[in-house]
Amino acid sequence: MRKWFKPISLATVILTGMLLIYGTHDMPSWGDPNSPANRHISPRYITEATRKTATPNIVSAVLGDYRSYDTLGESAVIFTASISCLFLLRRIRRQRNHDD
Amino acid sequence: MTEYFLAKYNFWIYVVLMMIGLYAMMGKRNLVKKLIGMNIFQTSIILLFVSAGVKKGGATVPILRHSDYGSVHAEHLIRVADYLNPLPHVLMLTAIVVSIATTGVALATLILIYKRYNTLEEDEIMAIRKDIRSYKTPRILRSKD
Repeated sequence: MRKWFKPISLATVILTGMLLIYGTHDMPSWGDPNSPANRHISPRYITEATRKTATPNIVSAVLGDYRSYDTLGESAVIFTASISCLFLLRRIRRQRNHDD
Repeated sequence: MTEYFLAKYNFWIYVVLMMIGLYAMMGKRNLVKKLIGMNIFQTSIILLFVSAGVKKGGATVPILRHSDYGSVHAEHLIRVADYLNPLPHVLMLTAIVVSIATTGVALATLILIYKRYNTLEEDEIMAIRKDIRSYKTPRILRSKD
């Protein structure tokens, strides 16, 4: 079973890649200004963000104003990661067990 | 045919990157290599989303030009085709932060695994755990005696 593990995973990966390349047939072409992602809601952000938030940089306007709760949660993610790294890597001072 | 290639080749690059990352996560036995594979996978997803915001034909970064800054109250004067799509950039900023957090916690866990088992190879760790479960002395300790 161990011998067949790498060929099976390679076959799975190639199958997934072929399916994804087949799926790119329906994707919009690269840099198309009229693709669905560029037409749906981003024109509203580009035209209105500066008036509503008084920030010329639209990315920071969306990050810090429209999605500020998302950014708050993001900082909570960073905080949790740093706290867990701290708890994992700190040197634990405890009494020696009898077996070591 | 060449036009089709030029319109789609970015997706194919990301698919190849994703295949490399997925194979590294599935097929490799070293845990650090698995982690590097996860990072390559995340990078391919980030590149895919950023490429969704590209507009050809003279679009620049989504920072309002000084000439457009005067016309923020007349929104029809701002040409949407002049600026890249800002939303994938914002979402991928969040994704980069999450990927940094997961990589940090995973590296800390790998340090603990290395301290405990003295190896990072997955099959050796599994052999040691199997020995411990069946109340035998683990292989690394046996060879020392």
